[in-house]
Amino acid sequence: MRVISSDTVWIVCPAFNEERTLAGVLTRLIAHGYKVVVVDDGSRDKTREIAEGLADAVVSHPVNLGQGAALATGLAFALAQDADYIVTFDSDGQHRATDIARMIATLKSTRSDYALGSRFLAGRQRIPLLRRLLLRAATIFTALTTGLRLTDTHNGLRAFTRRGAAALDLRQDRMAHASEILSEVALSRLPYVEVPVTIDYTEYSLAKGQRASDAVMILLDLFARKLHR
Amino acid sequence: MIVQMVLSVLLGAVLLHGWTQLRRSPLIAWMSLTAATGGLYLVWAPAHTTEIAGMVGIGRGADLIMYLWVCISLNLLLSLHLKQLRQQETLTRLARHVALANAFVRTNDVRAAAAPTVARLQGDGRRSTRMRGHTA
Repeated sequence: MRVISSDTVWIVCPAFNEERTLAGVLTRLIAHGYKVVVVDDGSRDKTREIAEGLADAVVSHPVNLGQGAALATGLAFALAQDADYIVTFDSDGQHRATDIARMIATLKSTRSDYALGSRFLAGRQRIPLLRRLLLRAATIFTALTTGLRLTDTHNGLRAFTRRGAAALDLRQDRMAHASEILSEVALSRLPYVEVPVTIDYTEYSLAKGQRASDAVMILLDLFARKLHR
Repeated sequence: MIVQMVLSVLLGAVLLHGWTQLRRSPLIAWMSLTAATGGLYLVWAPAHTTEIAGMVGIGRGADLIMYLWVCISLNLLLSLHLKQLRQQETLTRLARHVALANAFVRTNDVRAAAAPTVARLQGDGRRSTRMRGHTA
């Protein structure tokens, strides 16, 4: 199924050593008619070659900077390409390309600038217990620090309008970027909405995902950022 | 007297460092300035040290000075960490600029007018090009 629309939708896929899953992810996105930019974050495997064979564009960091930096690079590229809508989409195969059209449609129907994916609104899903607890703690932290009432604060599937993407000033290169995006959404005062999305957990995506110990580093990064300009 | 002079020079350096950080890291700077000023006071008024230590529940004046020095050291460590963060930001901006300037763009379906600075490689038979001079 290809999307028939006059809007330009760019999908930003940050990728670091994703040769195992990237081809499948890109094939599915391209089959839906989206333009895809892969931000190769200094991969040491065949990620870049795979991306250059399939994606509409590939931006390669000369060194590994982190997923937050890769997302910011992808957003800058998509904005320069006059994207009407920009979607962030993880390269580890945990997201479904079929969810994107619903997110864009929700942005339009609700006149929102940010559509944030939520795995907890999509009915019953097999979410590992530790991950569920970690995500619950993150939603409480986000509510306390930003005032945003969300059900899922660390979902890599997000859709932005051009205006929404341009309003984000992202400086967290590594793990704290998800919290920073939400902080920027709150600061922008632009309308946001949560959209149910499905996460397909695999051993691979769980191994690459964040751990409980990462939460400490995220808090330290966010604290350090508050201390300097 | 010699120890007092040496400590004064060291604490003076901390004061100077705090002053230079006022714009970039106000909280760190004020912590440094406060701790160093307190340290200078205790160095030149040692008789008050034990009295103040007793007031804050430490007991010995020497311990108070040691705790104060630990605070200053931790503060300087934090300051160094923040400096490293700033350097990382600079590196990120540079790497992003390089990456965007050399972006691989498939030319058969990407709009050519996307950015005025996009330059196309001509006549090389490839289906792709590299963006030039594109800034983050």
